[in-house]
Amino acid sequence: MRSRLSLPARLARGLFLAVMLAWSVGPILFIVMSSFKRQVDIFVYPPKLVFTPTIDNYLKLTTQWKGFFDAMGNSLIVALGATVLAGVVSFLGGYAYSRYRSRLTSWTAVYMIAVRVLPPIVVTLPLFPVVDRLGLGDTHILLVLLYATFWVSLNTMIMKNFFDQIPYELDEAAYVDGASEWQLVHRILARLTLQGMAAGSIFVFVFAWNEYLFAMIFTTNRAKTAPLILSELMGAVDGTEWGVLFAGVTLQLVPVVLLVTLARRYLIAGLAAGAVKG
Amino acid sequence: MHSRPRLTTWLYLSPLHLLLLAILTAPSVYVFWLSLNESSYGTGLTFVGLDNYRMVFSDPYFWRAAVNTFFVVNGVVYVELVVALALATQFAAGVPLRGAMFACILMPYAISEVVAVLVWKMMMDPSVGAIARTIEGMGFGMLNWSASPTIGLTLVGVINVWTHLPFTFLMLYAGLLAIDPSLYEAAQIDGATRWQRFTRITLPLLVPTILIALIFRLIFAFRMFSEVWLLTKGGPARLSEVLAVYLYQHGFRYGDFGIASATGWLMVLGSLLLASVFLFAMQRSMRGA
Repeated sequence: MRSRLSLPARLARGLFLAVMLAWSVGPILFIVMSSFKRQVDIFVYPPKLVFTPTIDNYLKLTTQWKGFFDAMGNSLIVALGATVLAGVVSFLGGYAYSRYRSRLTSWTAVYMIAVRVLPPIVVTLPLFPVVDRLGLGDTHILLVLLYATFWVSLNTMIMKNFFDQIPYELDEAAYVDGASEWQLVHRILARLTLQGMAAGSIFVFVFAWNEYLFAMIFTTNRAKTAPLILSELMGAVDGTEWGVLFAGVTLQLVPVVLLVTLARRYLIAGLAAGAVKG
Repeated sequence: MHSRPRLTTWLYLSPLHLLLLAILTAPSVYVFWLSLNESSYGTGLTFVGLDNYRMVFSDPYFWRAAVNTFFVVNGVVYVELVVALALATQFAAGVPLRGAMFACILMPYAISEVVAVLVWKMMMDPSVGAIARTIEGMGFGMLNWSASPTIGLTLVGVINVWTHLPFTFLMLYAGLLAIDPSLYEAAQIDGATRWQRFTRITLPLLVPTILIALIFRLIFAFRMFSEVWLLTKGGPARLSEVLAVYLYQHGFRYGDFGIASATGWLMVLGSLLLASVFLFAMQRSMRGA
């Protein structure tokens, strides 16, 4: 696809890429830089790119807003829980859809994708009274179930496509050697579909780590996640606390930004398998 | 090679379908029942038939929310698709510092809607925001998004594109990588121009991926809640509400689960309608001739 471009075309292309770069990274850079600025420097116009960094905001965060770190802990528990649950569920489902086929399985697969399109806010209504009666309100387990469920459909499709790439002859060879189906699945096929699991896991983890709506409706105290705390602080801070808020936001976003940028290879593989081929 | 399903097959599928049944299917059926009743936070149900739907359809705020949703969804999705396509073709053709550039473009995908709203709110603040002041300095006037529903919803759209562009870009890029490179080589030998290669090879072969990306994004944008709720709370005077915010107001602010459920069921129908194209195609491929 490479060929020589004229000079104006190359300039236009460079400009486009530069704008996209600033658009993507600029706001994140603004947050991270502000978290190291003194209060007086944050809203100086035009914004200062060179300034004396301070970690005061982070120190204040640890002393004044201890609740934030509990919330980060909750986010971690919920995100890991949802990732593991969705991983296991879609691994098993992906295997079944890859190796077995009938009219009924194909209809259940369509149903699986169809329910995924339901807007999350719609299920909050019927779940709201039920959750309270079951004692699941404000618990980690409820968020884990909700977050995992919203990804099992796509992740099952991703896993199905990864299973599809493993030749059926391998299954047959394993059966000839006397392996049971379960041994084949969890000893042999699991190792060969790790890439698919990695891709699916990133989607779930990022979603669960950042989710706002369910957390707002279904948690009040013990299971509050970091985005929820940040949204509350955002409404509550007065003029002098912006730096502290930015410090909290920075701590919340750095782990997932690293995860996404370092694991981008898996994201492409996952989308190629789940959406493009699915 | 596919076997007929056995009893164990359904065992492998059971965790998946139990989760879907408990968290999605049963609740959305129950929402329909809730929409035919009057209730306070889903308790003390009184059957009222289609009254809730009648009330929703005669509520000007509902229509306002529906129109807002329509404009925001369409604005967001098509702008995003065009930019993502341009970006994906640039990446497929090769860009300098590819790995680093790719990582940077992906970054907003990792950002919570809460954080996205926070940072755009700060940058667009009429009195202290860097971007708002630059726009004002350029003579475009003050962008007071908290007073004007149009500007407010435009900002909502900008934030929505910012957080979702990486996902759309990734999908289209994955689709581009699946195109056989020898096609381009053949075209080049035949003397096709860059633009001809794009319109004659890339676009036609990318149509399925573009359609999937489009439907994905339509469905996701249709359920938009957080950006609006965190930025404007639907204000001023409920003029910037979208459907999900309208539902939330009635359900969780006023405790009127009847109206909220009727809205919810209408949103379900809307989403299914959007998705039916995709589902139809998928069902055909799963049955796999």
